[in-house]
Amino acid sequence: MLVAENITKVYKQKTRTGFFKSKYQETTAVSDLSFQMEPGKIIGLLGLNGAGKTTTIKMCTTLLEPTSGSITIDGLDAVKDDRKVKAIVNMIAGGERMLYWRLTGKENLNYFGHLYGIKQTELDNRIKELLNEVGLEEAANTPVEQYSKGMKQRLQIARGLINDPKYLFLDEPTLGLDAPIARHLRGYVKQLAQEKGKAILLTSHYLQEVEELCDEVYVLDKGRLIKHDTPKRLTASIFNESKLHIWLSEIKGNVKADLEQLLIANEARLEVIQTIEHGVELIIKTKKEITSPVLNLLSTHDTTVQKLFVDEPKLEDAILYLAERRAV
Amino acid sequence: MREWIHLFIAELKKEHRNNFHSSLIYFSLLIWPAIGFITAYYSFKPFQLDGSSPLSRFIDPDHLILFLLTGYLSYIFFWSQVQSAWRMGYERQSGTLEIIFLTPVNRLALVYGRSFSTLVEGVWLFFVFVMLTLFFVDGIAVSSFWSVPFALILLIGTAVIWGGFLNTVFLFSRDAGFLYTILDEPMSIFSGVRIPPLAFPIWGKIFSLVFPLTYTLNIMRKLVMEKAAFSEILPSLAALLVVLLVLVIATAIIIKKAEQHLKKTGNMVLF
Amino acid sequence: MLQTAKATFIRNMISMMRAYPWTFFISHILSGIYTVIFGFFTYRYVFQGALNEQFSKYAGTNDYLTYVFLGGAMYAFAVSTLMNVSRSLITEYREGTLEALLLTPSSRKGYFMGNVLQQISRTSLEFIIIILFGMLFGLNLANVDVISSFIIWLGAILAFFTQALVLGSIMLYFRDTYISQNTLFVTMAFVSGVTFPIQYLPEWLQPLSLIMPLTPALEAFRQSVIEGQGLAVSSGQLLHLAILSVIYLLIGSKGIKRTEKIIIEKNFG
Repeated sequence: MLVAENITKVYKQKTRTGFFKSKYQETTAVSDLSFQMEPGKIIGLLGLNGAGKTTTIKMCTTLLEPTSGSITIDGLDAVKDDRKVKAIVNMIAGGERMLYWRLTGKENLNYFGHLYGIKQTELDNRIKELLNEVGLEEAANTPVEQYSKGMKQRLQIARGLINDPKYLFLDEPTLGLDAPIARHLRGYVKQLAQEKGKAILLTSHYLQEVEELCDEVYVLDKGRLIKHDTPKRLTASIFNESKLHIWLSEIKGNVKADLEQLLIANEARLEVIQTIEHGVELIIKTKKEITSPVLNLLSTHDTTVQKLFVDEPKLEDAILYLAERRAV
Repeated sequence: MREWIHLFIAELKKEHRNNFHSSLIYFSLLIWPAIGFITAYYSFKPFQLDGSSPLSRFIDPDHLILFLLTGYLSYIFFWSQVQSAWRMGYERQSGTLEIIFLTPVNRLALVYGRSFSTLVEGVWLFFVFVMLTLFFVDGIAVSSFWSVPFALILLIGTAVIWGGFLNTVFLFSRDAGFLYTILDEPMSIFSGVRIPPLAFPIWGKIFSLVFPLTYTLNIMRKLVMEKAAFSEILPSLAALLVVLLVLVIATAIIIKKAEQHLKKTGNMVLF
Repeated sequence: MLQTAKATFIRNMISMMRAYPWTFFISHILSGIYTVIFGFFTYRYVFQGALNEQFSKYAGTNDYLTYVFLGGAMYAFAVSTLMNVSRSLITEYREGTLEALLLTPSSRKGYFMGNVLQQISRTSLEFIIIILFGMLFGLNLANVDVISSFIIWLGAILAFFTQALVLGSIMLYFRDTYISQNTLFVTMAFVSGVTFPIQYLPEWLQPLSLIMPLTPALEAFRQSVIEGQGLAVSSGQLLHLAILSVIYLLIGSKGIKRTEKIIIEKNFG
C-alpha cells in the first residue's frame, strides 16, 4: 500500500531584484495532502486549476522530494529508499517527449527495460506482450520519429509498464488518442487494476473517464485537498437531483393535477412545462427514482409518451460547480 | 558488476542506433582531426628540424610524425567525449533524462556507459586512420609486445573516466559551450598533444598536471617511442591513477548533488 | 537598405547581449589568448627561436612571433565573419522568420550589411585583444603602415562577406551549419598560411590556397604590418582579393536566391 501523509511541496524561486540582491519567491504546489493507494484500486486525482497533480505524481515516483510529510510505499520511504521504490513504481506521462526519436519502438523499450535491470529473455517477452497490448506490434521496428502522436502516447504506456510496476501513475494517459484506442486503453487500465492487482493513480481532464475508471477521487484546489469520495457520492453531495424529461402529445388538466400530487409525495417537483411543436415537454426534478410511478400515472390517464430521458448529474458537473465557486 | 556490463551494452546499442550513419561522426572524428593533424605537422616546418634542433632535447625530430600521431589519436579519444557530453545536454531538454532518473539504474554506471559507447561509436574511424598511417611512419620502438595494447587500454580507460566527468558537468550546467572553451582548448595545448610539456615553463608544467591526458600521453609515448619498460612508467602511472580517482569521486559527488537538487527544485540545472 | 542594416544590427546586438552577455566575450577572448600562448610556447620554449632557413625567404620576415600572431588574429576574424553572416541566414530559416524576411520588401543587401557591421564590432574587439596579448608575448608593431593595413583589412572584410554568401547558400541547401562551416574553417587553417607559409605545402595543394580569400588577405596584411609595405607592394594580393570577391559575390547571390526558392517551394508546395 502507498500512504502519503501530509505531503507538502514548496518551490523556492530566485528572482533578481538588483545587481547583487535576489529574493526568494515561494510557490506552494501541494499543501498538506494525504491519500492512499491500494492494490487493485484506481484512484483519481483532480485539480480544479491544474496545480499540484503532476507534482504529487513526481513525489510518489521519487523524482521530487516533499518539503514536508512522508510517502511510504510497501513500507519503504520514498526519499530514503528511493532506489528500491523506483523498481516498483512507474509513471506514464509526457506524450511526445521522453522517447528516443531515432530508435524504434522496440529499441526504446529494450533500452528502458535494461535500465530496470530486467534480463534479456524476460524483457523480450514483456516487450512483445506490451507492444501487442498497446497495438504497436506492426510499428515495433519503425523509428519513433515516424510515429503519430497517438502512437507515441501508446509507446509511453508500454514504457510505463516495462518493469511491471506495482504502483502505476498515469498523467493524462488518453490525451490525444482516437476514441476507439482510448476506449481500449481504459479497459486495459481497469484490467491492470482488477486482474493484475496494480495500484493505480490517474489524472485526467476527461472527467467521464475518471468517473468510469476510478474507485475514489481526490479533488485538489491550489494544492489542497477539498474533496475525497467515490465519484458517485461526490457528485451526489453537490447535485442530489436528477432531471426527468418527458415529451407528451398533450397534457389534460386532471393529469397535471394528479402528476403534481405524485411529485409532492415523492419530494419531486415539476420544474418546466412548455408547449412545443407537436406536443408538450415536462421537466421534473427529483431526488429519488420516480420514472416508473410517473409512467404508470400517465398510462392510466391514457397519455402517450413520445420520448423520455433521464439526465443524471455527472462528475463533470460537480467539478465545474466546485471550480466556479472556488474562482469567486 | 553485472549491472554495469548490462548497462554498458544497453547504452552501446542505444547510442549506436541514435547516431548511426550520422555524417557528423565521419567529419568531426575523422576528417577534421586528420586535417588538424596535418596542419600541426606543417606548422613545425618553419622551424629547424635537423639533429641540432632544440626540439631534439625532447623529441627526435625524425619521429615528429609519430609524436603528433600519438598526440592526435589521444586527443580524439578525449574530444569525442565532448561530443557525447553535448548530447547529454540535449537529452535534458528532450525529457528522456527525466525518465532515466525514474529508473533505479546506477547513475555512475549510466554516465560511464555513455562515455564508453561514444568511444566505441566514433573513435574507431580515426583509430583505423592512425593504424594505417603507422605502417608508413618511423619511430615505433617498444620494449615488449604488450606495450602498445597496454597503452591503448590505458588511453581508453582514461578517456572513459574523463568522459564520465564531462558528461556529468555538461549535464547539470546551463551553458556547456562556455565550459568547453575552458576545459578543452587548454587541454590541447598543455597536455602535450602537439608540443612536449617538458619544454614548458614551470607554471605551464604545473597547469598540465591538471589534465589526465597529460599523463596518458606521456606514458603512451614512453611505451611506444622510447622502449620504456613497465618499471619506468610506474611513477607516471601512479600519478595518473590518483588523478583518475579524483575525477571519479568528483563525478560521483556532482551526480549525487545534482539529483538532490533535482528532487528539491524540480530543476536539473545545477550551475 | 540602411534602415534594414541598422535594424539587423540592433536586433543582433540585443539578442547577443541578452543571451550570454559575458560568456560570449570571454570565450572568444580566451580562444585568442590560447592561440598566442601556443605560438609563443612553440617558438620560445620548444625551439628556442631556431628557425628554418627557408622561413624568412617564404614569409618575407624573420619575426616568427608577429607572423604567427597576425595569422591567428586574422584567422579568428575570418572565421567570425564567415560564421556569423552565413549562420544568420540559417537561423532565420530555422526560426521561421526567413519567409517573413523574404516577404517583406526589405533589401537583402541591407540585411546582410547589418549583420556584417554588427559582428565587425564584436570581432574587431577580439582582434584587438589578441593583438594586445600578442604584444605582451613579442608581437612587434614598430614598422606598421597603418593606412595600408586598414585598407587591406577593409578589403578582407569585403572578401569574407562574399565568401560567407557562398557558405550560407551551402548551409541553406544542406540545412546544416556545423559540418559545412567547420570543414571550411579547418581547411582554411591548413592552406591559408595561418601558421606557416604556403610554400611549404606540396605543389598540388597550393591551388586550394588560392581560392581562399584569407590567403591573399593574410599575405598583404603581414606585408603592411610587419614590413611596413605600402599598398603598391600588396597590389597583387589586393587584385587577387578583388577577383575572388567578385566571383564569390556572383556565385553567392545566385546560390542564395536559388536555394531560398527551393526551400520555400519545399515548405509551401
